[in-house]
Amino acid sequence: MFEGIRILLVEDNEINCEMLARRLTRAGLSVITAADGQQALQMMASEQPALVLMDMNLPVLDGWSACRQARLDAHLKDIPIIALTAHAMETDRKSALAAGCDDYATKPIDFPELMAKIQRLLPA
Amino acid sequence: MSLRRRLTLSLCTILVLFSINVGTHFWGSYARQESMLAYRSSVTAAQLSTDAAQLLENQRQQILVLETLRETTGDMLDAQELADAEADIASIERKLEELGALTSEVTRPQYERLQQAGRYLLDSWLAFYRNFNDPNFDSDIDDPLPFVETLEHLRQLEQRQAFIAAQRSTIIDRTIALTDRITVIGFIATIFLTALLGFFLLRYTKRSLKRLKRGTEQIGMGDLDYRIADFDDRGELGDLAKAFNDMSDKLRRAIEDVRQAKDDADDANAAKSRFLANVSHELRTPLNAIIGYSEMLQDELGDAGEIDRAQFQSDLDKIVRSGRQLLALINDILDLSKIETGKMTLHLETFAAGDILQQVCDAMIPLLRERENRLHLPDWSGLPPMHVDATRFRQIFLNLLSNACKFTRGGDIYLEASHFQRAGEPWLQFIVRDTGIGMDAAQQARIFDAFVQAEDAISANYGGTGLGLAICREYCELMGGHITVASAPGAGATFTVELPATAPVSVHAGA
Repeated sequence: MFEGIRILLVEDNEINCEMLARRLTRAGLSVITAADGQQALQMMASEQPALVLMDMNLPVLDGWSACRQARLDAHLKDIPIIALTAHAMETDRKSALAAGCDDYATKPIDFPELMAKIQRLLPA
Repeated sequence: MSLRRRLTLSLCTILVLFSINVGTHFWGSYARQESMLAYRSSVTAAQLSTDAAQLLENQRQQILVLETLRETTGDMLDAQELADAEADIASIERKLEELGALTSEVTRPQYERLQQAGRYLLDSWLAFYRNFNDPNFDSDIDDPLPFVETLEHLRQLEQRQAFIAAQRSTIIDRTIALTDRITVIGFIATIFLTALLGFFLLRYTKRSLKRLKRGTEQIGMGDLDYRIADFDDRGELGDLAKAFNDMSDKLRRAIEDVRQAKDDADDANAAKSRFLANVSHELRTPLNAIIGYSEMLQDELGDAGEIDRAQFQSDLDKIVRSGRQLLALINDILDLSKIETGKMTLHLETFAAGDILQQVCDAMIPLLRERENRLHLPDWSGLPPMHVDATRFRQIFLNLLSNACKFTRGGDIYLEASHFQRAGEPWLQFIVRDTGIGMDAAQQARIFDAFVQAEDAISANYGGTGLGLAICREYCELMGGHITVASAPGAGATFTVELPATAPVSVHAGA
């Protein structure tokens, strides 16, 4: 059902990045990856993914800043972003949504739930 | 002046005035009584004089009649008549004596003259009666001179006594007027002074109490800096003001203490919350890999077709590695908790520092490669052997080197080692230096505290529970050494560890 849909996965932890990319690929998505916020913004501009899964704790430019910048950019502001973070407090969820993320998923990732969120945010 | 002194002084003044009044009253009474007595005796004496004069006159008339009878008729005087006559004369004598008893110093000369004349007259009268029946007795009773003289003296005494009585009565009047005036003046003065003292006392007390009241209200409204100023009274109200100011000071200090304690508790609480959030974050990262890979392998096992055994093996390795990372993290937390509760023990053994450090550096290779850092090692062949806890020693350098890696990317990390003598004992010095992001003085001051990372933003960017350096410092101190940091933002960080070659035998060692 997700055939040919390209999403961007931004995650600096190698193991987690590889794991999630493989699972998303298995689900039929086409996955490209970035390891920091700066790189993520560049790839969003060049690749125009249908959706972004973004870790918040990133080197160089953190996820919150990357989200805010994306929302200010006319070319990027409509790309949905789902925040991925190991911060599980209510305030963390709010801060991610305040930064401009469309949704929020806590690590360890509940994969079926994440897929549901992706489906909800993908353009029909 | 103190309130007690004011009150005492007022009371004393009132008492003195009152005493003067009472004294005046008693003196007046005494004086009146004295004068009254004298006046009364003068009046009685005047009465007596009149009586005596009357008796003398009567007796004279009787004797003149008897004398005429004796010369013309030759009548005899019987015993009864003689006794009556003697009694009459004795009564006159008594009157004169009574007069003498009433005589004061001032009328003494008049009385003595009367007594002399009276005695002569009465003696001659007595002789006349006793010798009445003797025809040979030649009486000179006709001679009026002694009688006139006696009456004259009696009159003089009477006049004198009347004069004295008048004088006394004047004195009484004057005394009464004087004592009345003194009493009234004293009474008015007492009332006036009492009112005046009361007014001043009331005004003083009211003013002082007003200031105390204002102070209490200010304190009550929360102005703990309010002080009752310029209270120059050294008495009770001054003491009260001083006690009030002391109380304000203590109250302010107590409230500051409470506020400080609350702030400290809040800080500690916030630090613990941050720590818990960080621990939660750190635990979730490896758990994410473990759960994710496990679920994925489950899915793949369910797929039809051949399983890629090499891929399967590599995925399982990742699960194991994440599990180990999780365990290490949990151990860190437990270690710190042990140190903090004083339950950490050291297991001392002899080893070559170089061997352990080499193992640590080997273990760092994957991380170094990941962060594209170069590690520069010293020549540690000349280092003396160490007798400390090898596991803790290894842990210190694992933490320092992984920190250096974490905060440096594409840079250089230097490990240096040397030895020196301190107080006759051999010591070793190890330096871990990086060319990473560095930190400012405020961050340096906090990084060794447990539950604290240099900044929450750094925690967000670089991960870590903030326990590594706290554990390093605790271990160094347990082994008798210390750890210091030198850094500047953007200029890398230099951690210096100094340890005695042999850990001192302390309460922790070898237990």
